[in-house]
Amino acid sequence: MKSFSFKPFVFLIVCLFFFSATSAFAAPPDEIVIGHPACLSGKYAKAGEQAVGGIEACIHWVNSEYGGITLDGKKVPLTYKKYDCESKKENVTSLIGRLITVDRVDVVFAPYSSGLTLRGAPIAEGHSMLYMDHGGANNKIFEQGFQYTVQTIGPATSYHKGTLDMVKKIAPDAKKVALAYEDSEFATMVMEGAKTHAEELGFEVVFERTYPKGVTDMTPMLSAMKATDPDFVLGGGHFEDGQLFNRQMSDLNIDVDCLSLIAAATLPAFYEALGNMAEGVMGPSHWEYGVTYSQEAAKEIGTRWIGPSQDEFVSLFKEAVGDQDMVPDYHAAEAGAQVLAYVLAAEKADSVDSGKVRAALGDLEFMSFYGTWDISDSGLQVGHSMVDVQWQDGKREIVWPESAQTGKPCYPMPTFDEKAEGEKALP
Amino acid sequence: MKNRLRPYYPLLPVFAAYLVLFLVGRNVTGMWQLAATLVFYCALGQAFNIFLGMTGYVDFGYVAFLGIGTYGMATAITGLAGYPQLGLGIVAIGFILAIVMATLLSMAVGAVALRLRGAYFAIATIGVNEGFRYLIEGANLWNGSSGMIFTAQLNEILGRDLSSRIMTFWADVMVLFIAAAAAVVTLLYMKSKIGYALTALREDEDAAKVMGINVTKYKIIAFITSASFAGTVGAASWALKTPYVFPPEVFEIHYTIEAIIIVMLGGAGTMLGPVVGALIYGISKYYLSIFLPGFQLFIFALVIIFIIVMFPEGVVGVIKGKTRNTAIAPYIM
Repeated sequence: MKSFSFKPFVFLIVCLFFFSATSAFAAPPDEIVIGHPACLSGKYAKAGEQAVGGIEACIHWVNSEYGGITLDGKKVPLTYKKYDCESKKENVTSLIGRLITVDRVDVVFAPYSSGLTLRGAPIAEGHSMLYMDHGGANNKIFEQGFQYTVQTIGPATSYHKGTLDMVKKIAPDAKKVALAYEDSEFATMVMEGAKTHAEELGFEVVFERTYPKGVTDMTPMLSAMKATDPDFVLGGGHFEDGQLFNRQMSDLNIDVDCLSLIAAATLPAFYEALGNMAEGVMGPSHWEYGVTYSQEAAKEIGTRWIGPSQDEFVSLFKEAVGDQDMVPDYHAAEAGAQVLAYVLAAEKADSVDSGKVRAALGDLEFMSFYGTWDISDSGLQVGHSMVDVQWQDGKREIVWPESAQTGKPCYPMPTFDEKAEGEKALP
Repeated sequence: MKNRLRPYYPLLPVFAAYLVLFLVGRNVTGMWQLAATLVFYCALGQAFNIFLGMTGYVDFGYVAFLGIGTYGMATAITGLAGYPQLGLGIVAIGFILAIVMATLLSMAVGAVALRLRGAYFAIATIGVNEGFRYLIEGANLWNGSSGMIFTAQLNEILGRDLSSRIMTFWADVMVLFIAAAAAVVTLLYMKSKIGYALTALREDEDAAKVMGINVTKYKIIAFITSASFAGTVGAASWALKTPYVFPPEVFEIHYTIEAIIIVMLGGAGTMLGPVVGALIYGISKYYLSIFLPGFQLFIFALVIIFIIVMFPEGVVGVIKGKTRNTAIAPYIM
């Protein structure tokens, strides 16, 4: 009888050990997948469509121009897996669960809005999955101790920092600021930041009051504000109330040197609705077409540049959405910039492991068409500066910060009587 | 023994459905969050069915009870965050607060709105929902429009690991128990004097009154019970699963619309109806959003119209009619 030989088994075990050992030193994957419960329908559909266009545009740039993400010396392409969350929180959790466990994505991009971003965070955290926020501006997201959540959009408290810095620099005599804004989570947080920064700069907040959503008459509040004789006013909340704010300030002849309205004043529809009355009105924005961020600007401040130029981005965006008339707004730009941040961090970490990429993101600083990027230890975006836009002769000029300027600010802006006579806001 | 248990047979398919959901969620990769969403819809439907199904009144302000329950849990967690020694007791206090607050709100709403009928009742309840939301925002109650975010407090009280398990697993299990409890209460009501009175008033309120039934009393019982369950669903599924609350989100009327669709789709006033409605609604929406992202709502609208036309009494209503006098009849109520 032939004796039993252990040799084949020993050989097999050695082979298996070798295979598992080489697997442990994971070879670069064939593709890196970005997962996204996008808001393609529901109340955030417009912002969601923009975000998807921005992401697809930048992924296209990474794969075709940049050559993919370099991992262990190999270029790996990016792919994009998205589902429609309908802007509803129940769908966000189930779709993030699917993206992580079934689709096995390497990173999850959060849906739009602070609420939906918060909804998905515990699921991503529970799976130790990197969760990148391009649409949730609420600072408090980053006070909850999430370890894998990082922000690309600037925090709400930073919206009016630039406006205040600008007034401080160009009008050192201006002292009195009034804050009048919509009673909403977003506007309240924006104004909290504005108030703090105003006080830091030595301005006196002479008036602070909120008005309810859907307001139809602001005259009592504006009359009270007029009595405090502010040098400049920061206010707003949404498009409709922003329009009303400006119109009723004109009705009451409340002339101030500067008026900045969040969410409304940056939209073309604002000028279309108000005409010359909108001249000189300002608004903060995360990004506007025309910003002057470039490779040269990055070199000047000694930071790294990545990504398409602004015009390339616009062209790639239009191609991605399949509509040559659609213009990218800041929702598209911040989502696109998030792709670029991930690319740099994955390369820096030389891995797609969420923990390693998160750590690399913490050390990352760069500039893209969207501006500069840097996060705090908690993941809060601290590197990105808002831009301030002012309506000048029917055009939106970026007037602040100086590094992104397309025109000088008009300060003080013309009075409402002057504007009624056709005067334009020109620097 | 067999006869004593027979009245409880209608619970078996409901519990079986919940067990299957739990097992699929736990054992099939990537299914837990979907199962959790379906359980949420089941609980919402079961709770809403206690009032809509049993009285025939359509409460368009129902989401307000989920919202107030969310605030109940949020208040307990933020208010007692300085007492970490209470541990999970804070969650229990949160549930008690959620029930108490939902009950008080339903008593206040019921005292006024339940005097109205039909479209007037529906309009009044919409007003209550919106009015309560604006009260919170305008009077700056519970931090007003800024809302409350309390993941950090939950971590502080329970520790990061346990709070993470609660957010990603135990909160969903709690919703499952709430759904099961709502089913048990529905059955108990149906088999008692309350159920008979409610059936009578649903069929003809005036006739029920003439027969000596105190219709106001029974409507209030159903209303408060349904609202209390909604409060606990909000506390578990919104406050514990994702520890934040913004007024526009927790008073959003589409949750009421979803509850109405679920109950009508499955069969109003039936035991199994809300479960069947929730499964059809949740599963079709989920897979349509995966395979046809962006078009799912359009297709879903067609599916709903088709089902409503084919099964005007709801899917379970039709099954019940077709299985009368068969062996499975005792299981479908």
